[in-house]
Amino acid sequence: MTWITVGYLVYLFAPMVLLVVGSLGDAWFNTLLPTGVSGRWYQAVVQDGSFRRAFWVSLEVSAATCVVATAVGLPLAYAVYRAASRGVRAAARIVYLLPIAVPPLVLAFGFVLVFSSDQLPFLGSLWVLIGGHVVLTLPYLLQTLVGDMRHLRLAELEVAAESLGASFRSRFLDVVLPSLRHSLASGLIMVAALSIGEFQLSNLVAGFLTRPYPVVLLQAFYGATGFACAATVILLALALLAAVAAGLTAHGTRVTHGLSA
Amino acid sequence: MSAASRPARPEAPVVPVLEVEAVTFTYPGTRAGVFGVDLRIHAGELLAVIGASGCGKSTLLRLIAGFLVPDRGAIRIEGRDMTGVPPRERQLGVVFQSYALFPHMTARENVAYPLKVRDVAHAERRRQALAALDLVGLGALADTRPGQLSGGQQQRVALARALVFRPRALLLDEPLSALDAARRVEMRDEIRRLQREHGIATLHITHDQEEALSMADRVAMMRDGRVEQIGSPRDLYDRPASRAVAGFVGHANLWDAVVAGPTAVTTPLGRLHTEPHGLETGKTVAVLVRPERVRAGPGAGGVNVFRGRLRRDRFLGAVRRFDLEVPGGVITGETGERGEVEAVHVPPAHVQLLPGPSAAAPAAQPTT
Repeated sequence: MTWITVGYLVYLFAPMVLLVVGSLGDAWFNTLLPTGVSGRWYQAVVQDGSFRRAFWVSLEVSAATCVVATAVGLPLAYAVYRAASRGVRAAARIVYLLPIAVPPLVLAFGFVLVFSSDQLPFLGSLWVLIGGHVVLTLPYLLQTLVGDMRHLRLAELEVAAESLGASFRSRFLDVVLPSLRHSLASGLIMVAALSIGEFQLSNLVAGFLTRPYPVVLLQAFYGATGFACAATVILLALALLAAVAAGLTAHGTRVTHGLSA
Repeated sequence: MSAASRPARPEAPVVPVLEVEAVTFTYPGTRAGVFGVDLRIHAGELLAVIGASGCGKSTLLRLIAGFLVPDRGAIRIEGRDMTGVPPRERQLGVVFQSYALFPHMTARENVAYPLKVRDVAHAERRRQALAALDLVGLGALADTRPGQLSGGQQQRVALARALVFRPRALLLDEPLSALDAARRVEMRDEIRRLQREHGIATLHITHDQEEALSMADRVAMMRDGRVEQIGSPRDLYDRPASRAVAGFVGHANLWDAVVAGPTAVTTPLGRLHTEPHGLETGKTVAVLVRPERVRAGPGAGGVNVFRGRLRRDRFLGAVRRFDLEVPGGVITGETGERGEVEAVHVPPAHVQLLPGPSAAAPAAQPTT
């Protein structure tokens, strides 16, 4: 049992460790480990204009995806949870889980077809990219939120709040939002991480100036090993950063509400 | 909060605090609901509504609270028609079966919440919430979250929260069913004490007839969406209006019977002598004999004596409740004696006759 665990962890972390080692090595040709220590690969990535732009595009797309997913997902999850009949709830679940079942490539082709038409010539714009990411990540957020609403028995809490005199607005701000802050945070961490790492759809619908980081990263693999390693480590850091930021922002709802009774 | 601001037992006012008049409600697409329910609760009164699950008692509470809208009939609070008045404007304190405390708020924040939505100033609502928690003995746990409280403590917080804004009436939806047996009995007294101190009209929904009998001023029994009988606990127990009430409230021997004469009925167990009942011979009736009225031993007069074999014998401390298998059925009785039971007798004065069973009534069996 222990050896399986150790073996699994090595398998999991070895590539990441090698990436970090490779990114800091000076040169790496036909040897087990690179020779020399250098920060020049990071410097090279930072100085590369297309990587710099992609970095910001990825952050922007990820942040916007989180905002839109919250704005759409929270009311949608609430509606699915409170839906009158069991049938409606089941149907809604199938529909909102569909994007997980459909390969992103299929979705991307759909986007290409629709948004390259004369009526909707938006292919390559940032908003199409954000829209795509929202469609791909929303199921994960909805799943988390609806599950938590059911677990908390939110409907009962709301009924109680209503009997105590709370208006819809008070109920939403004082009960619904603070109760859901944990699941909203974990849902958004997932949304942010998925959005940062998304390649399949982004590669097809992004324009030359709106390429997110993973798409540009592909180019790095045709160059020096150290450069590719450094660029990938930056993606890793970017994904972690986005996840942490999303989590903290969602948790922030409790600072503004809840503590004021 | 000053609990003494309202007298506990005022003269019966003309206008009841809570009035349910001919209310009918059917859940869409089903035949379940409540039908033609009439209820009145006066100031300071505790009315318990009992009945098996699915009898419509929780539906009734949801109608009064405003979570459901009656198809017909009227609900009035202090004489004012509540049609079209949303739950949050009805000023009713509701305690839910699951307590429904807000998990992200402390006990004090929970209790202060109804004051917060009424725009009471922060310091004032803090003071009132603490006073309300003190009243239920939880002042020391004011800063604890519901997750860290026991079931009984959560129950007390829920009660404090339902009372802190001085509602016009209190609605309790099976408030004790989630507690263990010992805690339940303790909370009965606690609820009754708070209700008396606040002098608040209270509707208490429960499936536990013993809870209802021990707490309530009056008890309404519901069955299949209708009120079967309303009266004092003693009325329901001593003078049940129907076989269903007799079977639900307390333990009972119930048999189908036919009137055999001015002081006798024929039951599956044989002939039973009664007091003069004034019913015509041949009429079908239900016979009720409470187990505590069944006397162990053959008795002196030789009337209503049944001999048989002891089938079950439950030792309950002060009494034993036994089932005696006799030709034609089973008689459940209670006795403080420790000896063998081979025969019982039923004094004619304790044979009660209730309206006859419907054609499809089940076979005579004691209901426990």
